[in-house]
Amino acid sequence: MFKAARILFGIMVVSFLIAPLLVILPLGFTDSIFLSYPIPGFSWRWFHELFTADAWRRSIINSLIVGSGTTILATVLGTLAALGLRDRLVPFSGFFKTAFLLPMVVPAVVLGVGMQILFVKLGVAYTYPGVIIAHTVLAIPFVVVNVSASLDGIDRRIERAAASLGAPPHVVFQKVTLPLAIPGVLSGAVFAFATSLDEVVLTLFVAGPNQRTLARQMFSTIRENISPAIASAAFLFITGTIILALITVYVRSQTQRSARRPN
Amino acid sequence: MRGGTPLRRHLAAALMLMPLVVFLGLFFVWPIITMLSEAVSDPVVVKTLPATTEAARAWDRQTPGAGALGQALVDDIRATTDDQAMGDVVRRLNSAKSGFRTLMMKTLSAARGSTGPLDLTTVDERWKDNGYWEAIAAAAQSRYTDRNLLAALDYARNPQGSIEALPPAASNNADIFKRTFVISGLVTLMCIALGYPFAMLAASVTGWKRQLLLGAVLLPLWTSLLVRTAAWFILLQDRGMINSTLLGLGIISEPLPLLFNRLGVVIAMTHVLLPFMVLPIFSVLIGIPGNLMPAAQSLGASKLRAFWHVLLPLSLRGVASGALLVFMSAIGYYITPALIGGPRDQMISSIIAFYATGTANWGMAGALGIILLAATLALYAVYHRLTSDRALRV
Amino acid sequence: MSDPYILFQNVSKSFGPLTVIKDLDLAIDKGEFVSLLGPSGSGKTTILMMLAGFENPTSGAVIVGGQHVEKLPPHKRNMGVVFQSYALFPHMTVAENVAFPLNMRGVAKPDSAARVQRALDMVQLGAYKERKPSQLSGGQQQRVALARALVFEPAVVLMDEPLGALDKQLREQMQLDIRDLHKRLGLTIVFVTHDQSEALTMSDRIAVFNHGKIEQIGKPSDIYDHPKTRFVAEFIGETNLVEGTITKVGKDRTTITLKQGGKLVVDTRPGLEAGAAATISIRPERIHFDRTAERENDFPGTVLDRVYHGDHIRVVLETRDQRFIVKTDRRMAVLDEGDKASASFTANACWVVG
Repeated sequence: MFKAARILFGIMVVSFLIAPLLVILPLGFTDSIFLSYPIPGFSWRWFHELFTADAWRRSIINSLIVGSGTTILATVLGTLAALGLRDRLVPFSGFFKTAFLLPMVVPAVVLGVGMQILFVKLGVAYTYPGVIIAHTVLAIPFVVVNVSASLDGIDRRIERAAASLGAPPHVVFQKVTLPLAIPGVLSGAVFAFATSLDEVVLTLFVAGPNQRTLARQMFSTIRENISPAIASAAFLFITGTIILALITVYVRSQTQRSARRPN
Repeated sequence: MRGGTPLRRHLAAALMLMPLVVFLGLFFVWPIITMLSEAVSDPVVVKTLPATTEAARAWDRQTPGAGALGQALVDDIRATTDDQAMGDVVRRLNSAKSGFRTLMMKTLSAARGSTGPLDLTTVDERWKDNGYWEAIAAAAQSRYTDRNLLAALDYARNPQGSIEALPPAASNNADIFKRTFVISGLVTLMCIALGYPFAMLAASVTGWKRQLLLGAVLLPLWTSLLVRTAAWFILLQDRGMINSTLLGLGIISEPLPLLFNRLGVVIAMTHVLLPFMVLPIFSVLIGIPGNLMPAAQSLGASKLRAFWHVLLPLSLRGVASGALLVFMSAIGYYITPALIGGPRDQMISSIIAFYATGTANWGMAGALGIILLAATLALYAVYHRLTSDRALRV
Repeated sequence: MSDPYILFQNVSKSFGPLTVIKDLDLAIDKGEFVSLLGPSGSGKTTILMMLAGFENPTSGAVIVGGQHVEKLPPHKRNMGVVFQSYALFPHMTVAENVAFPLNMRGVAKPDSAARVQRALDMVQLGAYKERKPSQLSGGQQQRVALARALVFEPAVVLMDEPLGALDKQLREQMQLDIRDLHKRLGLTIVFVTHDQSEALTMSDRIAVFNHGKIEQIGKPSDIYDHPKTRFVAEFIGETNLVEGTITKVGKDRTTITLKQGGKLVVDTRPGLEAGAAATISIRPERIHFDRTAERENDFPGTVLDRVYHGDHIRVVLETRDQRFIVKTDRRMAVLDEGDKASASFTANACWVVG
């Protein structure tokens, strides 16, 4: 009796969590102009629309441009900072570590308003660099957290062993530390790209019509003229996510295989 | 060790940290400071009407304002060539006291159309009313104002300078704050109600069952927020899955209104934020030694009492950090209420976005932003304290 | 003698296809200290969990104080359980932990406070009432767990490897303390352990478990000196096992011939039959290097290895028939690897295990 209730509850919550994602996928292949079930017939028309209609095509290209820019900038800045924070060699390391997480905490709209005002003054509003900078601010925490975690996971004794075997510090860093930290860097990069891809709010404030991203385009389509192209776009998003998740899982398993601290 | 002198390593670490510190200083801290200063800065009158400002500061507010300030105002108007700045002044004054727009238009043309001394009371009778002069004097008081901040909380200064509540019709920010907190609170409660038992379930099973339950939590977390919101939009619409199922089963005869109302917003936000509740609770539950519940039972506690006295108090920390995380995220939410909610379900972020992009009233947007930011940071500080001594952070 | 207080009758327990306990019978008297000893996976903890009510037997009866308890939930069994790694409630103080079972039984505040104080004094922790468990050492936590399991005067105290997490010195101290409490309070204790020396020191009786069955149950000296099976002989302490065939059964002495032709003389006891195969256990400390008249058995050989242990010296002696492990005292320190020596022992030192 109690056990049955537990199983039922588990099934209910799992379906609450998963069902919405499953429901939206098939709608990307509808041949109707309505986003609803039942689906009258299968077609590629909305995917076709996605890649040919100017607004959609443009937005996909923009997302790739902004996403790549964000990934590179965030990964470089975040990785350097995580390396700098290692061992607490810099005063106020703890403060910086917390401060680097704050972009995740500050409400996006608040940051967006501030960026809009400032970026207009600086002349980067409504430009690609402006959007990339905005997205990078949001992506930074993910890179710092991931790289720091993989640096923390490196067994000190391996580096000491390398030093005892005659490697000078920069060689230890190059040949031991960096290769072991690479999985963290990669998964940080994946997170950065995913963050940029999904970002809407800052984009609303700092991007002009020329920098409309896919997420931004979906947002206004849902708002204005709901069309099954949204479901097709969602399909792209979800498959993209699964691919990124698989990459991360693979990278993580690589991390776990490499030297870990015994505890 | 060669080359590894401590000082060099410290310097290298600092150098590696520097780019990000500068970057975030420029593009994270500075925008927030800009927004803050926008909310409290009020320089138009001081900048555009320098002579009037000086005269207003010397004015005792008893003698007629026209005599003490009139000529200075006329001089300032004649000296100004920047029409846009003058327009800002008029808007600023009109927002403090209605009637200023027509009064200033009349005064502008009179002052520019003449030279030499000009008695403003002959231009318009209203200049005899010291109320208008007090408004100018108040605006000239400083480059900073608490007007936006007060307005954000539905307060304003009266002409005498003391703070009083605005009439209910004039502003509804307090209502929106209240609504934001109510919706966020509801979402938090829903997340606890679903998340706590779910986390317990996940902690009590092992192997593939646990993988499945946790996977169900992590998958939405991995999926685009926008996709999830779109999915709920599709599910909740009148012709959506939920309504057509219920109609098909004959449970209802007309579609339930689920979209563009409070219920839809709470459902969709609960879905989005549930993982942030489940994960901290799960990690706390996992850390509780498995023999405590049997111990309590062997000491005479029934399962229910053992839960109440042992498991619940020990897991409260996870519930608290989950609840803080959910509530903190919820009060700043923009996308989900904007897409799923109706006009009466818009939360504070939507209002900020409206002021910023809709009316370009950055002062108001900034002031509301300060309040939201302060609330968020306060909640985060508590969360940080609660979790920093244990590795619970998601 | 009265009826046993705890009785397992024909109890079996399976987890799915895996049978952990097979047709077990076990009787424990009131006031007895019984150890369940065995390697991990031998079923001893399952017995304890069935007694405490956390597992139900698949078949058979569990009777405590004349009552069937198979279906009784744990909180109604009135048994004090001391768990492995103590299971102290980390969010409660020491006093609150100890008061917990009293609260569950609705004992009034003043009475409860007095009993908590008494229980804590008993384990010499009266001064630590307001501490949290995390502020105590392992040994102190152990004593709190003990006080908590005793404070409500349970009918039976069950202990699941309670000393496993302590270091050697503390463990030995706690063994004496627990034995002392058992005597003073007349407790009935069922004690699960995989440490044979712990079981030997503390128990009135030991039940040796293997693969879900009791191999032997009896007094520590019985188990040690007269193991019934090869498993018991090997599991309890170190021993030399010698295999051979019974060739002659006399009135006092029985002769056993080893594979290489060597002869071994043991005390005759019922059940030994000429022609049967026999395994003989000889404890290393009962073998000597100096021959006397009553040491009828003598195996000359060469010292293979010699290890200094402080209180004794452990010598491995290779003989024609058998390799013997000998624990000898320090006077034999003169022996060295390669030396000739002879293993001598009395007929009484040999025990035929089956």
